Amino acid sequence: MTRRKVLVAMSGGVDSSVAAALLVEQGHEVIGATMKLFCYGAGPVPDRPCCSLDSIADARAVADRIGIPHYVLDLEDHFRRDVVADFVTEYARGRTPIPCVRCNSFTKFSDLLAHADALGCDAIATGHYARAEEGRLYRGADRAKDQSYFLWGIRRDVVGRMLMPLGRLTKPETRDAARRFVLATAEKAESQEICFVPDGDYVAVLRRHLPADAPALAAGPILRTDGSLVGEHDGFAQYTIGQRRRLPGGRSRPLFVVAIRPEERAVVVGEERDLDSASVTIAEVNWLDAPLLPGDRCEVQIRYRSKPIPANVLAAEDGTVRLGLDVPARAVAPGQSGVLYRGDQVLGGGVIA
Amino acid sequence: MPTSIYLDHAATTPVRREVRDAMLPFLGEEAFGNPSSAHRFGRQVRAAVEAARERVAAAVGAEPREVLFTSGGTEADNLAILGFAAAAAPTGDWSGLHFVSSPTEHKAVLASLHEAERRGARVTLLPVDRAGLVDLAALDAALEGKLPGGAPALVSVMWINNEVGTVQPVAAIAERCLAAGVPFHSDAVQALGKVALDLRAVPCDALAISAHKVGGPKGTGALVVRTGRSPRPLIHGGSQQGGVRPGTENVAGIVGFGAAAELAAAEQPVKAMALEMMRDALEAMLRAAVPDAIVHGTAGPRGPAILNISAPGTDSEAMLMHLDLAGVAAASGSACTTGSIEPSHVLEAMGVPRPLAVAAVRFSLGALSKPEQASVVTDRYAKAVEKVRGLRAALGAQRDLRDLR
Repeated sequence: MTRRKVLVAMSGGVDSSVAAALLVEQGHEVIGATMKLFCYGAGPVPDRPCCSLDSIADARAVADRIGIPHYVLDLEDHFRRDVVADFVTEYARGRTPIPCVRCNSFTKFSDLLAHADALGCDAIATGHYARAEEGRLYRGADRAKDQSYFLWGIRRDVVGRMLMPLGRLTKPETRDAARRFVLATAEKAESQEICFVPDGDYVAVLRRHLPADAPALAAGPILRTDGSLVGEHDGFAQYTIGQRRRLPGGRSRPLFVVAIRPEERAVVVGEERDLDSASVTIAEVNWLDAPLLPGDRCEVQIRYRSKPIPANVLAAEDGTVRLGLDVPARAVAPGQSGVLYRGDQVLGGGVIA
Repeated sequence: MPTSIYLDHAATTPVRREVRDAMLPFLGEEAFGNPSSAHRFGRQVRAAVEAARERVAAAVGAEPREVLFTSGGTEADNLAILGFAAAAAPTGDWSGLHFVSSPTEHKAVLASLHEAERRGARVTLLPVDRAGLVDLAALDAALEGKLPGGAPALVSVMWINNEVGTVQPVAAIAERCLAAGVPFHSDAVQALGKVALDLRAVPCDALAISAHKVGGPKGTGALVVRTGRSPRPLIHGGSQQGGVRPGTENVAGIVGFGAAAELAAAEQPVKAMALEMMRDALEAMLRAAVPDAIVHGTAGPRGPAILNISAPGTDSEAMLMHLDLAGVAAASGSACTTGSIEPSHVLEAMGVPRPLAVAAVRFSLGALSKPEQASVVTDRYAKAVEKVRGLRAALGAQRDLRDLR
């Protein structure tokens, strides 16, 4: 293997720690970087430590252990502008965004690559469970951990310069490697949270960023598909397509959210069969291989960890793709990602319209 | 790997050979006793601790009994501020206490003041000029009790600023405080060995110094407290150091500090001149290589060792990363591991515009500095500026593209 100069993103978690260690073991010249994305409540005097300080300290300890330099890149301004602001706007529009996709598409990788260029690095690396080979992106070997769903928005030229050393490993293998390298992060618990949403309470984040009288957080009607009133909700931003919680009960068949109409502040409910869609439209499409044309076949995945559905391209133009599904998809939520696969390869993806 | 050049002496310095030699006997069976013990083992070590106290005292023009050894500069600053506060308000009610200081102080002072504030005291930070120097007219008003909070319980102003290297008018401040009968503390951590420190000439009531900034070991410092002024202890225990700073002495560290302080004071005039010449040469070369760069703190008197410079269109974190990978160790002001791009509070107080403040790089010269390093450092600094400007242009272009999408 040729020795490359690699800038590796180190979050302070076990995955990126092992990614960095493996690159060092493979003989590459490795520089570690922790991207500081957000920080709430750090005052001028350290009354309480900044929330990302622990992660930075963990990443630094790992870098010291494997003998590489480590730096902190402050992306707070970019992150606030490109990711947090979009997250808030999307919910205010009655949609269900995935901030990690937005961050991967617009913030993390492009900034990392710009730094890599300035430092004369050939490649950038991350601890994602996905594979980048010869400029193409594939699912990770560990299907339970596969993160390719979140990576469709990366620029195609960036994929050609990415290394994802965990792409062929399973999570238990990663833990074993961390123990073998005696990394401080080896037993660190997994975080499933969105990094800037403490305790999974995204409504609290919206409250902090939206005006007090924002329609998305104000009371509104819960309607049936025929327009009849079923009840009242206390903010449509607390609902997503397919949701059952926070709806009136006591019916023979349970109710599900089937649509959100922000202009009427309405949450529209229906029965389970009303959730099915025979087609899906994705916008803001980014291609990671030759663009698909009407008549082409692929599989589309409409949620993280949902089963990909074989589909037929009905229309494709101006960054929008309309797909006919071989079997109906359940609870297609605008704002989530629609990712196009052929087998393990990610062909591209977009935001569900 | 490129040759490494260390330009971060304001963060710390290597232990000098003479200092290490002085310490070695106290790291083995030769001399290990507890200085509080009455027996011969204790006596032997006690003599060494007291000799070190004399050397440290002599280095700053104080009496040996005025030297309280601490774990370093941070503890010394805490002891001065919180210890004097507790002494001034023995009942524990600090609401009547007023502290006067400057916004360019080290975090050890600012955080101690913040703690005093939390316990009810009032804190006034005096206005400073473009060089970060306190406004003496404002100090006069404070000493006359004209500011909210009334007559101060303590004035604390540092001797040399750790980020930009400017020298505060400490003598004038000390005289005014003396005349007003207000205790005056100065954080002199960056001043020892850089300028003459003589408490016989400058009437400070308390002075914080640190060993590892002058070729001594880390973990040792002192608060020099003028006789008659005694802080209340912050930590409680036995009767060591009059009970004001109890705990078995860090003997090897104290002995090392004694040796380092003595050398620093003795060599100060010659070393300071040499450092200043090297600093000025480096500054001239950097300015020539990056003509639009701004050097901070030049509007006032400067110590000899610190050069703080900003190249427009760069940022400290990227600059330090590029410099480090090119083998040059510098800093962005006070040592900070958070990687936060927040501008330094010192530059902010000096009125430096934010885009320049976030680009600040501090070079601090010292024992490892050599005149021939200047051209290498200049070359690497200029290259880093070029690369970081390119990086920022690339990031800006990406952002514009994204906005179009």
